[in-house]
Amino acid sequence: MTRHGDGRRPAGEHEVRGIAFSDPGEAVEPEPPEEPGPPAGEPAGPRRITWQRLVVLPAVVAAVLLATWLWFRGAELDSIAENSLAGGNVWLRLRQHISLTVVSTFFVLIIAIPLGVLLTRRRLRPAAPLVMALANIGQATPAIGLLALLVIWLGIGTRAALIGIVVYAVLPVLANTVAGLRAIDPTLVEAARGIGMSAAGVLRKVELPLAVPLILAGVRTALVLNVGTATLAYFGGGGGLGDLIASGITNQRMPVLVLGSVLTVALALLVDWLASLAEVLLRPRGLDPAGPGGARDGGA
Amino acid sequence: MTFWEYVGSRHEQLLADTYQHAGAVFQCMVVATLIGVAIGVLTYRSEWAGNLAVTATATVLTVPSLALIGLLIPVTGLGVAPTVTALVLYGLLPVVRNAIVGLRGVDPSLVDAATGIGMSRVARLFRVELPLAWPPILTGIRVATQMLMGIAAIAAYASGPGLGNEIFRGISSLGSANALNQVLAGTLGIIVLALLFDAAYVLIGRLTIPRGIRA
Repeated sequence: MTRHGDGRRPAGEHEVRGIAFSDPGEAVEPEPPEEPGPPAGEPAGPRRITWQRLVVLPAVVAAVLLATWLWFRGAELDSIAENSLAGGNVWLRLRQHISLTVVSTFFVLIIAIPLGVLLTRRRLRPAAPLVMALANIGQATPAIGLLALLVIWLGIGTRAALIGIVVYAVLPVLANTVAGLRAIDPTLVEAARGIGMSAAGVLRKVELPLAVPLILAGVRTALVLNVGTATLAYFGGGGGLGDLIASGITNQRMPVLVLGSVLTVALALLVDWLASLAEVLLRPRGLDPAGPGGARDGGA
Repeated sequence: MTFWEYVGSRHEQLLADTYQHAGAVFQCMVVATLIGVAIGVLTYRSEWAGNLAVTATATVLTVPSLALIGLLIPVTGLGVAPTVTALVLYGLLPVVRNAIVGLRGVDPSLVDAATGIGMSRVARLFRVELPLAWPPILTGIRVATQMLMGIAAIAAYASGPGLGNEIFRGISSLGSANALNQVLAGTLGIIVLALLFDAAYVLIGRLTIPRGIRA
């Protein structure tokens, strides 16, 4: 039985992991079952953009928005509900939400990706398990608690909210980047060094291009996470669509609550959809799982 | 009042909140695991159905928790109902995905061998496939539990149970002397709970993963 279990392993990526497995034992252990996850969800699509991918989600979102709008026009609004929607408040909150998401994602990426690259360089590699352990604890921290602590520390306002969103998303993206750079076949790096490339050249011409899918996945993770955390920005005085949801809940005004929730859901789904398209479009040709050789021939 | 004095003077309330938080997450996770593994078992054989299950649960995960709770309130009212529904829905994704990945990853020759020695479909599932797929499923449960800890905190805004109430009490009394203590007590409580659950899962893994496939 044991032999059979091992015999199953050398299927593609596992060979790479066999090497990683022996060094940092503990830190890598939770990954394996997680790693095969995304590829398993993928075979249906990501490699190519089919028309379904382009049409289905936006169509569903548009239909839901239209239905909500029609329902909302018919809903009876009393003065309290009107108050929370008056003066272009809905547009203001939507714009705030989008800008919170975009700005925080930008900061997450410029912090997490260079840090991930640094942590996989030889000199800083011993620090990586520590960072991974920190990332694990970070995941256990509730976003709302982190945000509240930052607000108490930095005072209420957009700044505290923004920092909270960034801090919350940096660790997962960092963990992803480190895991992905580590999963690069060491023989490729060795081969590149062997033909005389410098360490910087290897990073720029071999490792980073190979890690592009992973970095794009990081962008997507950060965007989706940040749309969600941005709903909590309201509790830190950062505005956003959380304002509509929260005032809907506290004032018991269902139209406000539903409008805020539907807009947030629509925004989250659209952002994820756009990021998934970017993942397909920006992936380097040679990395197409269909077959590196074939794709390269077609490209040349 | 220092943090420890605060904890000392409110320990009854805090313990009750902690107990409720842990209870809500644990019970929802049990339900999510049962439903999630059932979905996995029913769909993993078909490429189409399996991918649909993964996509559907992934879409739920994309939805921000406050918005999902907001959409549930008109249906279920405030309190425990939206909390439990939201927690179960969010808990499903990692379990469904890892169950499908795990079940699909079982070596077909082992299933063939099981058929060959005369095992029925049900026996194959419970004695061969599920035990072999159990490690990834358990990882899914771990990931889901950590996530639910944070979501349960947010659900407190919709009058849900648990430590989130401490945090929101702190937020609504910003500037008062106890705000920091309340937020800190709620946040640290949740972190400790999450780490305890994580340790428990490691232990469960030791006890339940068949010896032959342990890493």
